[in-house]
Amino acid sequence: MHRDNHRRLVLLIAPALVLLVLLAVYPVVRVAVLSLFETEYGLDGAVYVGLDNYRTLAGDRFFTRSALNTLHFTVAASLTQVGLGLAIALLLDRPFPGRRLVLPLVVVPLMLSTMVVAAIWRSWFHYDFGFLNALLGSVGLDGVGWLFDRDLTLWSIILVDVWQYTPLTVLILLAGLSAVPREVVEAARIDGAGRWRIFRTITLPLLAGPLALALLLRTVDTFKIFDKVYALTGGGPGLASEVLSLFVYENGFRFANVGIASAAAMVMVVIAGALAAVYATWMLRSRAR
Amino acid sequence: MPRTLLAAGVVATGALVAPIAPALAQDSLVIAGRDGVYAEAMAWLIDAYAATNPDVSIEALALPYAGLYERAVIAMREEAGAFDVVLLDDTWATEFMSEGWLADLDALGADTDGFVDSTLAVSRYPYGEGTLHALPFVGNVELFAYNRALFEAHGLDRPESWTAVVEAAATIDAAESDVDGVVFRGTKGNPIVTGFLPILWAHGGRVVDEAGVAAFDSEAAVAAVDLFLSLKPHAPEGVELYNSSEVRDALQTGTTAMAIEVWPSWVPALDDPSVSQVVGDVEIIAAPGQVEGPAPMLGSWLLAIPADAPNPEAALDFLSFATAPEQQRALALEIGLPPTRAAVYADADAVDAYRWYPAQLDALENAQPRPRITRWSEIESILGDYLQLALIGEISAEEAVAEAHARIAGALGG
Repeated sequence: MHRDNHRRLVLLIAPALVLLVLLAVYPVVRVAVLSLFETEYGLDGAVYVGLDNYRTLAGDRFFTRSALNTLHFTVAASLTQVGLGLAIALLLDRPFPGRRLVLPLVVVPLMLSTMVVAAIWRSWFHYDFGFLNALLGSVGLDGVGWLFDRDLTLWSIILVDVWQYTPLTVLILLAGLSAVPREVVEAARIDGAGRWRIFRTITLPLLAGPLALALLLRTVDTFKIFDKVYALTGGGPGLASEVLSLFVYENGFRFANVGIASAAAMVMVVIAGALAAVYATWMLRSRAR
Repeated sequence: MPRTLLAAGVVATGALVAPIAPALAQDSLVIAGRDGVYAEAMAWLIDAYAATNPDVSIEALALPYAGLYERAVIAMREEAGAFDVVLLDDTWATEFMSEGWLADLDALGADTDGFVDSTLAVSRYPYGEGTLHALPFVGNVELFAYNRALFEAHGLDRPESWTAVVEAAATIDAAESDVDGVVFRGTKGNPIVTGFLPILWAHGGRVVDEAGVAAFDSEAAVAAVDLFLSLKPHAPEGVELYNSSEVRDALQTGTTAMAIEVWPSWVPALDDPSVSQVVGDVEIIAAPGQVEGPAPMLGSWLLAIPADAPNPEAALDFLSFATAPEQQRALALEIGLPPTRAAVYADADAVDAYRWYPAQLDALENAQPRPRITRWSEIESILGDYLQLALIGEISAEEAVAEAHARIAGALGG
């Protein structure tokens, strides 16, 4: 009986497993194989070069800068979005007049296409005619080279990403806050706990799951950043906003250096896998507790 | 009952199919084209073609520069038969033609009489003498623009050398608070390289030699990069991200004294008082020389038929229509697209609309194409990356030249 159940289970899971292997595992394996070859397309006519593509990447200033920029972007953007999202969610969690109007407005940036967002912000960032420099000028400050000052460019793109995706973390954390039992909070308040203490000892621990989920989603997504960089700066000025996805895209799609692009993609897979593993371990430990 | 149902099914199917049957019998063309002014031109052409060919349905994609290249390359590589007609920058032509991705237009019977020779030369592979794989559609040639009124106000002559350009830019920039000395496209990749190449050529430098070997590492190249960098202090803030629209706006609003790179299709409205504040003030000439004479750069756009096009005969008919003298003249007058037919440059109405047409034809006839190598797009990208690193002060001119050369040599297998 037990064996029959097991067989039935395997049969039910099999189609999904086959699909997973075809759609997720096969492409990764193929990219891993291609990363060991010098090739312009597939394996036809490819020359085996071992780990040379990885060695080339290690000494390539474009790749190393892209990797550093990607990590910088990922950490800064995802942490800001989760932190800001938490603050906004806490504000929106309590009743106030006009809450029904504010909530949909907060979500608007999330609903816009990234290309539209990039076009809006590109015009706002314009040095001479942009809204942001006009704002600075109105209080007597000099204009800022938002997209061409190499020390500022990446932060400007982070700002755009924060503007667009903080609403997503707000939604996740608002859902989490709605699951915090009101009676527990009420009991703590009756026992004399202040707002900060309630937040630190009750709300925050109960929000750990949604916070981790929001952080994971934004970390994985920001790690893959491509469209905003492509539309706003093309990776420039210089290497100031070069990111790994752009590096892979240019080598793989524009210049047919498929071996190099595959090696860079494998580096991305490893980093993304490590991030996912950290999250999975954390979740499993949380559940075990 | 089953027979009745079957008969009803046949009648119903016939009734549904009858209205769309003529549409299914139509020739259909899918065109991969550019956005902006090229999309306007294509839309105009499609309307004109439909008026005389109502049985041909045409779908045209309007893609940005890099997007068009990528879509076309992927479609050709996959042999997807996705397009009947593709619009190609002449710098991509060598790659597309040498890979065997384009149909042989000689074999299809294309007529080549009346095109400017330089535009026809890049339509053949090998360059100049080989098989015809495209018809020249847009006769772009890189020119130089200067505001004559400003030059006269500051006692400056027309710039004959790149050194004179830098001096004039410094003079005007220092004297005019609302005017920059010079403007150029500083965006990475094709834009920054396109502005730089005439400077490099005028200094006697080359990116690759005639054998297709990397040749950038030279004193001439360092001098050219140095000169290019010396323009930046006299250019607008943020020039590192300037592209064609910013250059055009700076010219038309009179906020720049010079533009080192102007393509005729950018500035059809330079003398139109409804959009230009410098009517009659701006002169458009061939780029200055330096060690060598002026070296205008060819920037043709070609119409080609993919080797796997589903409908090559109908595609050739469209190509012949689009590049015929009547259409070339109309596109010049209606949209400002530079023609590839020499006769249009002598047309009285066209010269009346664009006073620089005689100079433009002269530049077009003497224009140099960019190196005819298959990997030019990649080489251009490499060069653009290092030029911009130098432009933002991250590396010196010497480092930019040496590092770009090493990378170009690597990409070319040297």
